[in-house]
Amino acid sequence: MLDLFDDYTLRTVALGSAALGITSGALGTFAVLRRQSLLGDAISHAALPGVAIAFLLTGSKAPLVLVAGAALAGFAGTLLVMGVTRTTRIKYDSALGIVLSVFFGFGLVLLTFIQRRPDASQAGLDRFLFGQAAGLLQRDLVTMAVLGGIALAAMLLVWKELKLLAFDPDYGASLGFPMRALDVLLTSLLVIAIVIGLQTVGVVLMAAMVIAPAAAARQWTDRLGFAVALAAAFGALAGVAGSVLSSEAERLPTGPTIVLCATAIVIVSLLAAGRRGLLWRELRGRRDRRRLRVAAVLADLIALEQQHPDAHRGHSAAVLSVMSGGALPSLQVLERRGYVRRLGEDEWVLTETGRAEAER
Amino acid sequence: MTAPAIEVTDLTVAYGEKPVLWDVDLEVPQGTLMAIVGPNGAGKTTLIRAVLGMVKPAAGQALVYGKPYEEQRRRVAYVPQRGSVDWDFPTNVLDVVLMGRYGRLGWVRRPGAEDRAAAHEALEQVGMSELAGRQISQLSGGQQQRVFLARALVQHADVYFMDEPFQGVDATTERAIVELLRELRTRGKTVVAVHHDLQTVEEYFDRVTLLNVRRIASGPVGEVFTEENLRLTYGGRAAVFGRNGA
Repeated sequence: MLDLFDDYTLRTVALGSAALGITSGALGTFAVLRRQSLLGDAISHAALPGVAIAFLLTGSKAPLVLVAGAALAGFAGTLLVMGVTRTTRIKYDSALGIVLSVFFGFGLVLLTFIQRRPDASQAGLDRFLFGQAAGLLQRDLVTMAVLGGIALAAMLLVWKELKLLAFDPDYGASLGFPMRALDVLLTSLLVIAIVIGLQTVGVVLMAAMVIAPAAAARQWTDRLGFAVALAAAFGALAGVAGSVLSSEAERLPTGPTIVLCATAIVIVSLLAAGRRGLLWRELRGRRDRRRLRVAAVLADLIALEQQHPDAHRGHSAAVLSVMSGGALPSLQVLERRGYVRRLGEDEWVLTETGRAEAER
Repeated sequence: MTAPAIEVTDLTVAYGEKPVLWDVDLEVPQGTLMAIVGPNGAGKTTLIRAVLGMVKPAAGQALVYGKPYEEQRRRVAYVPQRGSVDWDFPTNVLDVVLMGRYGRLGWVRRPGAEDRAAAHEALEQVGMSELAGRQISQLSGGQQQRVFLARALVQHADVYFMDEPFQGVDATTERAIVELLRELRTRGKTVVAVHHDLQTVEEYFDRVTLLNVRRIASGPVGEVFTEENLRLTYGGRAAVFGRNGA
């Protein structure tokens, strides 16, 4: 990791991955909130034939050319999903599935075709499948940063309109905002976020960079602004960690490594995050249950006392367990607080303070 | 006489081949509270959406103060059904109410101090001032409804379209909404609300439109809210509805 600041290649890789993570994390938050997580998957798979066609037409592997091809194909795929959903009886999820597999299949065919050609210039296009961060060059980095910057600037510019789109599009339409145009705009920004990550993460797993940081960030905050910022940070973290790890090791594909890092962030967030975190919820639940049980045992003791004429007779934990289950630990808690006294081996009786507390 | 707040003529809306609204005429005078009642699938929500330009009608037109809606947007506020949004969205009460100002802010500009003041005032009107900073996921159904009403109030509109404002709210909220409607009427505002509880139509509203794809009747509650018209609107179930509410 010390190499990060000296090693030129590694720095390029890390910066590029950060750029893709920030962009996809931020815009992914909107996609996730609109329940369009899988749209990212369709866009990235649909982008593959675009990369191949762009190369076939121009013979160039310049990042801008390939990214433009990917973006056009990804966008075409999205429009096709919208068109199919609107004009046929096929539902949204099925339309996504159809477009995703048809475009991806076509992309694989083209890729195979390109690789069988005799000239050597085609090498390396297959890194778009699983990503290869080690191959990132300075010019790739510039392309990614500029495109990502444009997408983020556009997002910030129409922030309130996008919030309206994500929360209540019908109401937005009643205010006079062109919600369909905003939908297309947001989708276009998502397309940009996805295509700049394709070379590093690959089309197969790029959707994870749209979904995972956003899902993790949602665990930590209840403000849209924080959620977007945090998702961007998580995306960058996963991107940098994953691509640095994969470029340290020989032939380790970057996409899967980055996705594993993102998954780790999600798991930690699910477990540990504030009020929504599973871990805290479990601990809080236990504490509440214990408190309830202790109170129940105290109430049972006073009830027993009132049933029996000789008030100071002891009762066994077993009797109390029948009444509210697992009474012994609760009795020990009560004893420590001075609310009950142990008479014999298993004979418990309320103290004066305990009686006062129970009657309160 | 002044132009009616809403004037709908020959409005017809169809999804595919099936007409949802058929040749509907509607006139809502200024300063009145109008209920729209009818069975499920009668086109009540569609009527509102068509007037607001969210659904393209196959025929007919809707005028707001004598002009098309597009020219009168500022004078119209919309309160959608509260179930139409995801209340787990990461935002708070004040932020949702501020959305009511987006229309007059226009593109790109963010809400400022004046907008926040208007939002707090609207929250006060619906009895929610203390909850301005509350996460919307922690609101009760009645509170959600009041947030939506406050959001419409900050638009400072003249006509309010409300889609089932009384749906699933607690008694306190119901009273608060009724008071709000009356206050709006006092200030000369017009309210058109889809309503489900036939029992309260006469108490809460001045006018009623009975709708079942076609307009069955429309006018002052005392004149048109009759057993006969209800039977025509709801079919054979009218007697049951008339006594027990929907």
